[in-house]
This record gives sequence, structure tokens and C-alpha cells, in this order.
Amino acid sequence: MFREWYGAYYNTVAKILKEASGHPVTRERVREIIREQAFLESVLTVEPALFSGRWPFLSPDGRSRLGHVPDMPLSLLQKRWLKAIFLDPRIQLFECGLEGLEGIEPLFVPEDLCVFDQYADGDPYGEETYIQHFRFLLHAIREHRPLAMDVANRRGTTTHMDVVPEYLEYSEKDDKFRLVTSGCHYGRIINLAKIRSIKYVEPGTEIWEWAKNHKGKPVFEKESVVFELYDGRNTLERALLHFAHFEKRAEHICGKRYRVRVVYNREDETELVIRVLSFGPFLRVVEPEHFVGLIRKRLKDQSVLTGFLEEGGEEDLPRD
Amino acid sequence: MSYNELIKNFGRIRDYMRDFYIGGFKSRGEYDKKSARSYDDERRRLESWLGDYMGFRQTVLGKNVFIAIDSRLVRHNPLYKAWKAKSFTDGDITLHFLLFDILDAGGIAFPLNQIMEKLDTYLADVSERETFDASTVRKKLKEYGQEGLILTEKQGKTLLYRRGEMIKLPSVDLLDFFSEIAPCGVIGSYLLDKLPAGGGHFAFKHHYITQALDCGILCALFNAMRQKRGVELSLMGQCAGEIIKKQVVPLRIFISVQGGRQYLMADYKGYPSAFRLDRILCVQEGECCEEFDHLRDMLDRMQQNIWGVSTRGITGNGGEAGQPGLERVEFIIRYDTGQEYIHDRLMREKRCGRVEKMDAHRSRFIAEVYDSSELVPWIRTFLGRIESIRFSNKKLARRFQYDLKAMYQMYGIIKDGKEDVS
Repeated sequence: MFREWYGAYYNTVAKILKEASGHPVTRERVREIIREQAFLESVLTVEPALFSGRWPFLSPDGRSRLGHVPDMPLSLLQKRWLKAIFLDPRIQLFECGLEGLEGIEPLFVPEDLCVFDQYADGDPYGEETYIQHFRFLLHAIREHRPLAMDVANRRGTTTHMDVVPEYLEYSEKDDKFRLVTSGCHYGRIINLAKIRSIKYVEPGTEIWEWAKNHKGKPVFEKESVVFELYDGRNTLERALLHFAHFEKRAEHICGKRYRVRVVYNREDETELVIRVLSFGPFLRVVEPEHFVGLIRKRLKDQSVLTGFLEEGGEEDLPRD
Repeated sequence: MSYNELIKNFGRIRDYMRDFYIGGFKSRGEYDKKSARSYDDERRRLESWLGDYMGFRQTVLGKNVFIAIDSRLVRHNPLYKAWKAKSFTDGDITLHFLLFDILDAGGIAFPLNQIMEKLDTYLADVSERETFDASTVRKKLKEYGQEGLILTEKQGKTLLYRRGEMIKLPSVDLLDFFSEIAPCGVIGSYLLDKLPAGGGHFAFKHHYITQALDCGILCALFNAMRQKRGVELSLMGQCAGEIIKKQVVPLRIFISVQGGRQYLMADYKGYPSAFRLDRILCVQEGECCEEFDHLRDMLDRMQQNIWGVSTRGITGNGGEAGQPGLERVEFIIRYDTGQEYIHDRLMREKRCGRVEKMDAHRSRFIAEVYDSSELVPWIRTFLGRIESIRFSNKKLARRFQYDLKAMYQMYGIIKDGKEDVS
């Protein structure tokens, strides 16, 4: 899998030669392609190698010496991976065929995997209406075209909204797709499975004007929480990996104590509260005060429900 | 050896990337396993590959380097870049582009001697470098043949070489999605590199990008499972630099989408055991295992009592829930009118457990598992609503209550063992 022909340098050279097959490329253009395709320091290697003839593919005037535009066939590994993802139920959401993969063994099959903590109420990937909505939305996102939607709400009725579709967000934990939108002051994130109907909004309406004038992605309000971590029962590693998908900063205070700041979207606060609780006494929220209050409220409620129960013995707990 | 931004082996950079991304609190001096020179080189490579995702901060112990990525904002896993930094020689890259140029025309096949002639002619015209010898070219063609990039056919006694079949690639959207969420997603990223830039229509929440670092190990394990083979695992030991070897039969990959870890569930000495992928350094393919199907069936049955990955009780150390090896956990959740979503939450998160609706405001959860300690973090997420809880494992029950009391003290709910009524 770790092969040079999949690498950034080979791709960069292929891109340069593709461009140089039609007309000469300048050194400046070569540098530009290297910056786009490869790494920060790649220009120090790729450009001199091509123009010195050490990699003998370019003539001095910047034309490709090859007879054809470079193109590498797919490797067996790439075909086996494609064959494997065609066994995934979510593949139905995309319009695609399996041509050219006949007789290829998949790299893995669903029985080789177990996602053991995914929620059980994932989206219905096999439902025709869901598939139609998914494809419609993907098209609308590409076109940045406003939509009129009816969406099921908690009261069991539907809410109508005009929105600009920005992108689809998928959560592996929830096994759900959500549509992230702009242009509507409520319902910025819409569960795909809750959509009852969609159609394009006619040009000339208010939401069209909004879409024309607002091209940026929606910005979510960010909050941060700081907790002190006591590294008992391997909590340091578990917690840092658990919160790895957030932007975070960890500092070692002393001994087994660490201080961690996690930045999150405000709408995810309740989820973050219970995730912090799951680490028990090994994480102590120190700021902000309102987050401390949310944890405290849950513990207070718990103490009212069950009182203070029997004591046990445990050695690996945080101690001051 | 002078610095090069490309690397020969993935193993060492894998450790550094994990340290910088997951931790990011160590200073240069704390990377005691490796030399300072090695640390500087790896840090510089990561800066070159990851650019703005790298950050630094000065502490009293020195400069800490970290990788800061909000995986909800990125559309493509930046850690895949490490897989695209394999080093090569001038000969490798020259042969690569020339061989595919020679074999470009549709269906054309050449024997080695004709390929050699074309290479010699090309290089004589354009380069002062010496041409390649036939054994080097044959070796390269064989390597590409094993990877499916080049196909061979016999014409009499002569072996002919032609390029592998081209196929139509799926859409950028499809590859954007599956390269992020499918196992060995870096392969999807390799495919994306063949397509024009575009897409970016998907974002990912709760997205653990560190899986990128274990793609190679995962791929080797999939290969073994597809062939029903045993393997020898080289595992990181507890002490620095220690390597432990174990002979196992890989049965299934267990993935946690809430904790970010991936595990191999394998038969080890007659019992299914879990091995963290990030602790596996190397996978060596072994003999075919005739019992593979039987072992997997056994795992299927056992999974009805595995909450996460632990099978601790299988060896008979548990056995307090009426069945040998199983432990029982039972708790009741209380909720108010209008909070029925709490019951729904139990239903969607219950895994191998059972949920019973007791009345309008209470639901009971029951599970019999090999290791009930695995449920504790999840049970804590219901704190504030737990009316009662019972563990058949008495030691665990005491620990749960003790931890809860520690939390009460930590947040000032009780002081010196008494309730704080303020």
C-alpha cells in the first residue's frame, strides 16, 4: 500500500507532463503545480530534477518528451477496495456502476467488520425516497441552488423552509446524514431522513438574492471547555483519542495531571457534557462556569435519585 | 544521511504523527526513544506535509509541537499525506513514466527485448544517463505485474507485457465520501488523486482521522482474513522499544466510532482476543487456517455478549450472571413527561442489551456480557436519571459507587462525606 507510484511526487510529475504535452510549461507554472500537488519543500527537489534532465521527461523548452499523456492503470489494490465499497449499503446513494471490476475479489466484505458502538437508528439507505432526496440535494449543493423543503418536526407535523444547501454532513456515530444550510434563520442543520419533500425555488425570490450575495460556508458558534485530567486507568490516552476529532490543546501540569481545552460547536454542548461525564472522576471541568454548572446539575439530580451509596475501595483515583 | 522530505518506512512517522496529533504536549527532550536528529527530521517532514495544521507552543520544558485539526472542517483527511511520501530513486521514477509511455497504446504488448530497445532509444536521445540493464527492467515489470498495473501473456515461449486495463472511475463525490469513512480509506484518496479537483460536498462529524495511520496494518489483516490465514503480529510492549510476537488467527475488525480505536479480534490460544490496531507494528502472513469458519461462527455467537471488545470472562473468571463467564448489569432510568426521547436513546444505544419500558417514566436496561466494566462509561452518561443500578460483579459495583462519590466531592455536591445543601 505504501508505494511511490501513489505518491505526491509521481502525481505532480504526471500533472506537469500532462500540461507540457499540449504546450511548453514555464518554470513558474511548474513551481505552481508542485505547490498545488505536493508538499511545502517539494519544489526544492522536483523542479531541478525535471529541468536538469535527472528525470528525463522535459525538453529544455518545457515540452513533454513522452509520446503520450501519462496515465497509470488502476492497481489491483485500488480495484479490490472499490469492489469492497460496492458492498456497502451507502453505495446506493450514488449513481455509479461496477464496470471493469468483474472477477475482482473485494479487499474486505461486511462480515470482516463490526462497528460495535454505532447507533441503531441510522438512516434508511435502501429507501427509494431517501435515495432520491440524497441525489437531489447533492445536485442542488453543486449548483448552490436554493430549495423549498418540508421537514418533519418533533410535534409530528411538518415545517416549511426555504434554504440554500451548503454541504452534507455525515456522522459515523449516528449513521446519519444532515444537510447544512444557510439563508434560513432556523433549521440550519436538517436530518435527511426527516425531509418530506424538496423542490427548487424559482429565481427572483428573496432566498435567490441571498444565495447570490452569500457564498461563504456557514459559520458555527464555537465554545470551549477546559478540564483537568487525572491519568488513572489509562484515561490520558483514552480521553485524548476520544476527543481527538475536536480542535484541542493538551498540556502536562505535573505528575499524572493534565489540562485539556476542547473547542466545540455550541449546538453540541449537551453531547459534550455526557461525554465528559463518561470519564467519571478522571476528568474535572474547570471552566467555563456554566459548563461546570451543567455537570453539577446532573450529579445533583443523581444524588437526589439514589442518595449516597456504599463506599468501595479504589486506589487509582485522583487525589489532591 | 542528508534530509529528504520523503520516507522509506512508514512505521516511525506513524508514531510521531500519533503523538503530535493525539497528545501534542511533549517537548523535544521527552521523545526519549529516538535521537534528537531523528526528531528534528520527522518534525520537519510533518511541517512540509501538513503545513498550517502544525502548531507550536513554548512551555517551561521546551517547545511542544502539535497537529491541530478540527476534523469537522476538513473535507479530506490530511494525515493521508504521509502515505504519499514514499521515497524512490531516479531510476524508479524514470522507468515508471517510460514503461507506461511505451505500453500506452491500447492493448499493445511487447516482449522484454523490445521494451529494452525502446528504453535505450529514448534515453540515448534525451538523456546522458546510462540505460537500464534488462534484469532491472524485468524486476520492475514483475513488481508492477504483482500489483496488477501490468499484465503478462505468453506468446510461445516469449513473455509479453502490456498495461493493466483502464476502468471508469466513480464520481468525485463517491470517492470523497468513502475515502473518509471506509476502511483503508487512503486507497480512495489515491483514486481521488487521479481525478480533477472538485467535490468538497461532504463534511464529517465525530470523525476519527487517526485511522489513516493504521491503513497498512488493516490492509494486511484483511488480506489474511480473505485468505483465511493465520498471522504473526509484532506488538508494542509495555516498555519502550519492547516488541512482542503473537501467533493469531484474524477473525474480524472491530471499529469504535465513539472512541476512535480500531481492534483486531483474533483467535489467540483458543479464545477470541482483541488487539488494538495502533499497537500492531507488523503483520506477517502465516499458514491457512482450516478452522477459520468455525472460529468465526464462535465469534458470531459470542458477540451477543460482547459490549465493546473485551472477552475477559470467557476464560471463566466471571460467571456471576447464571452463565459461565457472563456478568449481568441492570439499571433503571427515570424521565419526565415530554422526555420520552431518553427511552429512544436507550433503544438506539443498547447494543447487545435489552430495554424494557416499565411505565410512562421509567425504562429498564439489562445486559449479560463477558466484561461489564466496558459498560461503565456509557452508564455514566445517564447520570442524573439513574433510579437504581445492579452489577453482578460486586467489585465493579463498589468501584462505580466509589467513583460516583468522588465525582460528588469533585464538584462540591458533598463535602467531607455530607451533602452540600448550598
